[in-house]
Amino acid sequence: MTDISYPQYLDLAAGLFLLTAVGVLWRHQLAPMIRLLGIQGVALAAIVAILGIHQHSLELILVAVGLAVLRAGVLPLLAWRALGEAPAQARETRPVINTAASLLAAAALTLLAYAVTRPLVALAPSPATAVLPVAVAVVLIGFFTLVTRRRALSQVVGFLLLDNGITAIAFLATSGLPLIVELGVSFDLLLVVLVLQVLTGRLRTTFGSTDLDELQELHDQ
Amino acid sequence: MNLIGWTLAGACGLAGLGVVAALVTSARARPVVVGGCTAGVGVAGLLAGLGALSGEVFHARLPALLPLAGVQVAVDPLSGWFVAVIGAVVAVAAVYGIGYAGHGHGPSGRGVQAVLPVFAVALVLVPAAASVSTFLVLWELMALSSLLLVVAEHRVRPAVAEAGWWYGVLTHVGFVAILLGLVIYAAQAGGGSFTDLRAAHLSPGVRGLVFVLVLVGFASKAGLVPLHVWLPRAHAEAPSPVSAMLSAAMVNLGVYGLIRVGFDLLGGATRWWWLIVLAIGAVSALYGILQAAVARDLKRLLAYSTVENMGLVFLGLGAAGVFHASASPALAALALAATLLHVLNHAGFKALLFTAAGSVLRATGTRDLDELGGLRARMPATTVLFAVGALGAAALPPGNGFVSEWLLLQSLIHALPAGGAVTAVVMPLAVAVVALTAGLAVATFVKALGVGFFARPRSATVSAARESQPVMLAAMGVLGLGCVGLALAPAALGPALSRAVGTATGTPVDVVRGGVILRLAGIASTMSPLLIVVAVLVAVVASAALVRLVAGRVTRRRAARLWDCGAGPPTVRMQYTATSFGEPLQRVFDDVLAPQIDVDITPHAESAYLLARVAYQRRIADRVEHHLYTPIINTARRAGELGRVLANGSVHRYLAYGFFGVTGLLLVLAVIR
Repeated sequence: MTDISYPQYLDLAAGLFLLTAVGVLWRHQLAPMIRLLGIQGVALAAIVAILGIHQHSLELILVAVGLAVLRAGVLPLLAWRALGEAPAQARETRPVINTAASLLAAAALTLLAYAVTRPLVALAPSPATAVLPVAVAVVLIGFFTLVTRRRALSQVVGFLLLDNGITAIAFLATSGLPLIVELGVSFDLLLVVLVLQVLTGRLRTTFGSTDLDELQELHDQ
Repeated sequence: MNLIGWTLAGACGLAGLGVVAALVTSARARPVVVGGCTAGVGVAGLLAGLGALSGEVFHARLPALLPLAGVQVAVDPLSGWFVAVIGAVVAVAAVYGIGYAGHGHGPSGRGVQAVLPVFAVALVLVPAAASVSTFLVLWELMALSSLLLVVAEHRVRPAVAEAGWWYGVLTHVGFVAILLGLVIYAAQAGGGSFTDLRAAHLSPGVRGLVFVLVLVGFASKAGLVPLHVWLPRAHAEAPSPVSAMLSAAMVNLGVYGLIRVGFDLLGGATRWWWLIVLAIGAVSALYGILQAAVARDLKRLLAYSTVENMGLVFLGLGAAGVFHASASPALAALALAATLLHVLNHAGFKALLFTAAGSVLRATGTRDLDELGGLRARMPATTVLFAVGALGAAALPPGNGFVSEWLLLQSLIHALPAGGAVTAVVMPLAVAVVALTAGLAVATFVKALGVGFFARPRSATVSAARESQPVMLAAMGVLGLGCVGLALAPAALGPALSRAVGTATGTPVDVVRGGVILRLAGIASTMSPLLIVVAVLVAVVASAALVRLVAGRVTRRRAARLWDCGAGPPTVRMQYTATSFGEPLQRVFDDVLAPQIDVDITPHAESAYLLARVAYQRRIADRVEHHLYTPIINTARRAGELGRVLANGSVHRYLAYGFFGVTGLLLVLAVIR
C-alpha cells in the first residue's frame, strides 16, 4: 500500500463506519439495523487492518481478523437469533424521537465530535488522528441510540455501536492496543451481549414485550 | 524495643488472638476467652502508659505496614497518660463484660465479641500514633468498631438503631473535620509525621483554620455542645461494658487530640483559639448537667454527666491555653494538670457508675429511675459502689472528682492578676460556671442514688432484683478502690502528671508536690484530701453518736403506725420520683430546658369538682437537637424527595441523564477551548 492511498483507504473505511451508524438511526426495522451493525463491524475491522498494513504490524492484522469475526460475525448473529425468536410486531422499533429529528441530532453530534477532538488532532496530526472525530461521533450516536430506542434489542444495537466507536478511538488515537487488552474487552463484550440476549428473552416471557418503558414499575416508591 | 514497645506489640497480638478466639470458640466459652484477651489488651496498655509516665520513651517506624505512608508510633509522657487511663478502663470493663455477657443477657454474639478486642486495641493505640496517616487510620478504626459495638443490641430495641445512625453520622462529621484539618496541616508542613508538623512554620490564618477544624472533630468525639446529641443516645443504648468504655475511655481521645494538636504541635500561643474552647466547655458543662438533672433514664443521666465533665475538661483546657498565650506558664501548667487529672478521675467514676448502672439494668430490666428504688436491700454491694462513684461525680470533698475540680478552681481564681482585660472578665465567669455545675451535679447524683437505690421499689420487677455475679462485682470493686485511692492520695500522681504536662507545654514543670498535703507550684495554695476525709469521717461519726446519745435519753422506742392524715397508709407511688425530685430545678431553668408538660384532668361524671384522675406527662426534648438538627434533617429530606422526582423508573430517562451529561460536558469543553 502506497503512502498516498493509505489516507484515502482509511477515510473510506471511516466513512463507511459513520454511515452505518447513521443508518442504524434511520431504519425503523430491527432486521436492517442488525445488518448495518454487521457492516459496521467490517468497517471497523477494515480500519484496524489498514492501520496494521501501514505500520507493518502482524499483531494488528491478527486483531483485525479477530474483530471481523466477533463484530461482523458473532455479535450480529447473536442479535439475529434473539430477533428470530421475537413475534412479528416486535420486529419494529418505535423511537422516542422521530427519524428526521434523530438524523438532525446525528448531524449535530458529528459536529460536536469534530469540535471536541480538534485539540486531540492538533496534538499529533496524521491520517489516523484525522479520522478520530468520526470514531467519537459514532460513540455519541451509539449513546443517542441507546437513549432514544425502546426495544431491548435496539438498545443492544446502540450499545454495540457505542463500543465499536470506543474500539475505533482506541486504535486510532494510540499506536495499537496490547493484544491482551483487546482480547479482554472483546470477551467482556461477548458476555454483555449474551446476558442482554437472555434478558431480552426473559423480558418477553415475563411481560410479553421487550419495551423497556414497561419496566417503570420497578422504581423506588 | 523497650518495655513500651513490647507491651504495645503484646496488645496487638492479644487483640488478634481475641478476634480469632471470638470466631472459633463456642458460645459458652466465648465471653470468657474474648473478655480475657481484651482485658489483656487493657493491661498491656496500662503498663505501656505507666512505662511512658516513668520517663521511658518509645519511637518506631513500620514503613511496610501501611501502603504509601507507613506507620509511625511514638509514646511520650502525654500519650502515656492517656494510654494508661484508657488501658485501665478497658481492662476493668472487659472483665466486667465477661459477667455481663455470660448468661445469654447482652451481646455474646460472635460478631460483637470479635469487634470488642479490635475496639480495645484501637483505643489504646490512638494516643501512640505519631504521624497524620497513622492517627487517622487508628481513629477511624476506633470509630467504626465502636459503632458496631453500639448497635450490638439493635434487634432488641429499635432505639439502638436510631442511636447508631446519630453516632455514625456525627462521628464521621468529626472525622472529616479532623481529616481536613490534619491534611491541610501536613500539606503546609511538607510532611506527615508529628516531628515535621511540630517544626513547621505556618501563617496565622492557616494555623487558625487547622485549629478550628480539629476542634470541631475532637469536640464531636468528646460530646461537646452542639455536637453532643449522639452521646446520650449511643452511651445509653450500648451494652453497659461498652458504655463504660465509650464514656470513660473513648471521649478522652477528644481531649488528647486537642492537647496534642493545639498545644504540642501548633504551639498553642493564640488566645482566641482557647477562648473558643473555654466557651464551648462552659456551655457544655452547664447544658450537660442541666439535662442530667432532669433525666429519668439512669444511663442517659450518666451520659449527660459525661457531656458535663468533658465540658469541664475543655474549660480547663481553654483556661490553660489562655494562660499559655498570656505568658503565665505556672498557671497554664496548673490548669492543664487539673484537666489531665480530671480526665483520670472522670474515667474512674464514670466507668464505675456505668458498670453499676449495667448491673442494675441486668438485675431489673429497666433503666427508668421512676420504676427503680429499694435496691439498697437487694443489691447492697452495687449500691455502695454506685455511691462511691456518685460521690466522685458530685465533686464533693471525699470524692475523687473534688480534687481535680479544686485544682481547676485554683487555677481560675488565681488568674486575676495574671492576664489582661479578657482574662479578668472571662475567668470569674468560668469560676461561676464550675461552681454552678458542681452544685447541679450534687443534686443530680443525690437524685440518681436516692431515687434509684433507696426508698421502696416502685415496680414489681425491681422487688425481685438479685445482686450481680462475683466477676462483675470484682470489676466494679477494683474501680471503686481506684476511685477511693484517687480521692485519698492524688499527690502520688504528682511526678507523672508533671511529666505529662511538661510534654504538652514544652517546658518541664513540677506542678503538684507533697505527700499528705498537696502543694501547688507557683501559687500559695495547699489542700489535703486525706485530712479532709478524716475530718468528714470524724464529723459524721461524732454527729451520729450525738444523735444516738440524745435520742436514747428521751424515751423508750414504741412501734406505731405512721400518721397518714386519715387517708390510708402511704403507698409506694407517694415517694419522690426522679421526675418530682428534679421538678424544682426544671422550674428554675424553665427557659433553658423548655419542658413540654401535659396535665390531663378527668372529673367524675356526676360533678366537675370531684376529680377521677389526673395524668401528668412531661417531656424534655434536647433543645439544641430540636433547633439545630431538625432543620438540617428536614432540608436533607426535602432534597432527597426532589431527587426522587428525577428517578421515575424509566430506563430511557436514566440513560438520557448520562447522554446529556456527556454531551453537555463536551459542548462546554468545545466552547471553552
